[in-house]
Amino acid sequence: MKRNKPLALVAGAALITLAACGGGDGEENEGTTGTEKKFGAQEGGTKDATLEGPAQEVEGATEGGTVTVYVAGDPGPNSLDPTDGWSVLGNSIQQALTHRSLTQYKRGEDGQPVLVPDLAVDLGVPNEDFTEWTFTIRDDATWEDGKPVTAEEVAWGIQRSLDAETFPAGPGAEYSKGYFAGGQDYAGPYTDKDKAYDAISFDGQDVTIKMEKPFPDMDYWGAFMAMGPAPLGKASQPPNYGTDPLSNGPYKIEKWTPSEELILTKNDQWIAESDPARHQYVDEWIIKFDQDQAKVDQIMLSGNSDSQTAIATSIGSDKYEQANSELGERLVQQTSQCVSTLTPDYTKITDINVRKALAYAYPYQDVWLAGGEVPGVTRVPANSIMPPGMAGKKEGFQPDGEQIVYDPEKAKELLAEAGEEGYEITMIFYEVDPLAVAVQKQITKGFESAGFKVKAIPVQVSPYDIWLNPDDKVNKTLNLRGVNWCSDWPAGSTMLPPLLSGDGVYNTALFSEPEIDAEMEEIAGLPLEEQGAAWGELDAKIMEEFFPIIPTAFRNDLFVFGEKIGNPSGDAALGAPNYKDFFVMQ
Amino acid sequence: MSQPTAPETLGSLTDETPIDPNSKKAKAITGRSPMQIALGRLMRDKIAVVCAIVILFFIIVAVFAPWINKFFGVDTETVFPSQYLDILGGGMPLEGPPNNGFDPDHPFGIAPQTADDNLAYWVEGCRTSLTIAALATLFASVLGVTIGLLAGFLGGIVDKVLSFFIDLFLTVPFLLAALTLAPILNERFNTADSYVTIQKFSLIGVLAVFGWMGTARLIRGEVLSLREREFVQAARVLGMPTSRVLLKELMPNLAAPIIISVSLMLPAFVAAEAGLAFLGIGVTSGASWGQTISKAVKYFEQYPLYLWEPLIGVVLLVLSLNLLGDAIRDALDPKTRR
Repeated sequence: MKRNKPLALVAGAALITLAACGGGDGEENEGTTGTEKKFGAQEGGTKDATLEGPAQEVEGATEGGTVTVYVAGDPGPNSLDPTDGWSVLGNSIQQALTHRSLTQYKRGEDGQPVLVPDLAVDLGVPNEDFTEWTFTIRDDATWEDGKPVTAEEVAWGIQRSLDAETFPAGPGAEYSKGYFAGGQDYAGPYTDKDKAYDAISFDGQDVTIKMEKPFPDMDYWGAFMAMGPAPLGKASQPPNYGTDPLSNGPYKIEKWTPSEELILTKNDQWIAESDPARHQYVDEWIIKFDQDQAKVDQIMLSGNSDSQTAIATSIGSDKYEQANSELGERLVQQTSQCVSTLTPDYTKITDINVRKALAYAYPYQDVWLAGGEVPGVTRVPANSIMPPGMAGKKEGFQPDGEQIVYDPEKAKELLAEAGEEGYEITMIFYEVDPLAVAVQKQITKGFESAGFKVKAIPVQVSPYDIWLNPDDKVNKTLNLRGVNWCSDWPAGSTMLPPLLSGDGVYNTALFSEPEIDAEMEEIAGLPLEEQGAAWGELDAKIMEEFFPIIPTAFRNDLFVFGEKIGNPSGDAALGAPNYKDFFVMQ
Repeated sequence: MSQPTAPETLGSLTDETPIDPNSKKAKAITGRSPMQIALGRLMRDKIAVVCAIVILFFIIVAVFAPWINKFFGVDTETVFPSQYLDILGGGMPLEGPPNNGFDPDHPFGIAPQTADDNLAYWVEGCRTSLTIAALATLFASVLGVTIGLLAGFLGGIVDKVLSFFIDLFLTVPFLLAALTLAPILNERFNTADSYVTIQKFSLIGVLAVFGWMGTARLIRGEVLSLREREFVQAARVLGMPTSRVLLKELMPNLAAPIIISVSLMLPAFVAAEAGLAFLGIGVTSGASWGQTISKAVKYFEQYPLYLWEPLIGVVLLVLSLNLLGDAIRDALDPKTRR
């Protein structure tokens, strides 16, 4: 899953975003007064297929009140159509409050996400080789107009996700089209109007999906709101439906001004007994997009009546220390299952020693500081592509023996070994953001003191526009790119193939090894319980043998909660505030 | 003209007490040119003198920037911030302000996040600011004076065409043009090694191209009234070529409006440069006060000194230039009653 804000995708992000525990190293301890904080980490996914509604009461929860959510520096989704949602921000709000899907996540006792049923009565029943999944839709779920959610509407909603042309930003283009039978040949119900599509069928309360290839993660994919119902026919016609989609969760959309504000009010037709994980404690949600971070920080730290029932989805790094000492439990850190990487061009930098030299020449701590991050808090050292806690992740694994840190001497040795002293690196940076400029200065200094030559090209468009465009003339000259990637669900299949398979969408390293591609195919077909470990093995193997991508950091988010917000916590599945379980203390 | 025989001096129009032409005092006054009179007035204006000293200070800082930095032992080289900042204690400098006392190695302190030396960036920022403002003023005033002179003196179709262009440039919003031009230049030149220089000169170009119209209008108006005067007519009757009439007859009489418009253009450009840098266009790499201000805004509580330094630089320079400009105008204007 991509982060919504393009700037946050660049190595130096203006906002504090994700990570797990990890100390810094080097000379950094002088004058330190900060208290250690515990991170909400994600440690793989557990599942509970039998959980029944209503959701377990939150201790001490009371009803009523209005909660204001301040979202700094992110304009929010362009469309509220569930099929179109593929951003951390939009999905975390809509999936928790307004739009239900086949399955969902619940925050478990230990803070870990648990996959539980939502509109389906269980987590789906696959056939033996995961090529056909059947979900039985519960009969007591309702729309905001009181009508029941039918299996036909769910099937229709799922079918919509195959229309990559109508929903170019939607996740369906990746998963529905990638896995559903005939998905590649079917352009979707709006683009391919007259074509019948029979891989998705419904019978009574059952919805059956046939797969092109084994898809054991269908239950996780079912937790995306794109795998939920849509009203039949004209009622869900895009793009109009995206401005005011019919809600079926505990809240409905009262008013939405794109890039500004989203107001949600209680949906009185929602039946608590039909939903195993959502609550309806709060009367009203006001989500304010595209706020100024400095302003939000002031509001949240002021403790005035406005801030008492407010939530901020980020905090400026300059205010972290103050917030950490003043807010205590109300500052929540949450891993967001994301990794920042540098991607050396595999077709140009062919020597693994040069790639490793780059990893040793990258001044991690300094880049984080210059980029406005809090080292050890919002950015922690990374060892491989799979984020910490992901099922199968080999903890403690180090591709080069021990944690790679900035070590120009080692980098020089590696370069000498490769016979490539003075190797010229060509990369781009986003010069409009002063933070990105500061970050680039650090990278250049680090690389140069390790014996590289650096040509840094300033650009004024999102670096992704250049990295992902094979015909761009600047892109053709680059031999070092980057990508920040977040998992869509806690499985290696959402991390490794998009970044490292020969045809991966975000494979900016242009890494392609038939052996690895074949192995990825093979793992996708393994029995479910073996997959996690297999992905972990592959993750380690790729890093050890090829080192095609330099993971620079795992990322963490910080959320700030007002005094009267009950149950301040994060949602580990998405790396967002845990909207499902909040209440206002009366 | 009601007093065609009166000499073209400014002294007779002031309210200074008339002096007996044969007295000793009068001897000292005789022979002073209008410029000398204006200068004398300027020297007596305390505000003008103070402003001039302040401006001189900034000019010295700008001209001798590298030596000043060397003297203090600071530079604008990138350093690794993790060696100088308290990583887990809020990212503030380990030595010097805001949490510790004066740090002799870094008299102005160091920046949070990047640990850049503030003094070095301040001095270099002053240089950037004055270089860009001075060059832009030079180009804009040459352009403005030329067009104003031609439009005013030649009249007719030339005047119509030139006035049209003056109006046209006045209608284009300056900020919008600057914002549009930045990505275009970037797209075209970002792989060139001289990108930084190109960026600087394009900024000077943008400032000049959108800054000459005021001067042009002012000069045109002056010329319109001057060209009907007898001395110009006489020069024409004598058969002087137009170029000589423009340069030898009109230009000296335009000195006052030109000096005034230049002295008011400078502070406007200093402010515009800082404003553009604050918005992230203009000078993006290298030192600039506006850029430092934009980085420092969020630290106004924890590290106010970081914000005050560039802010005081901009405010003091712009204020001094403006006040001096006003004083020059007053001094040159024979009608001012003081």
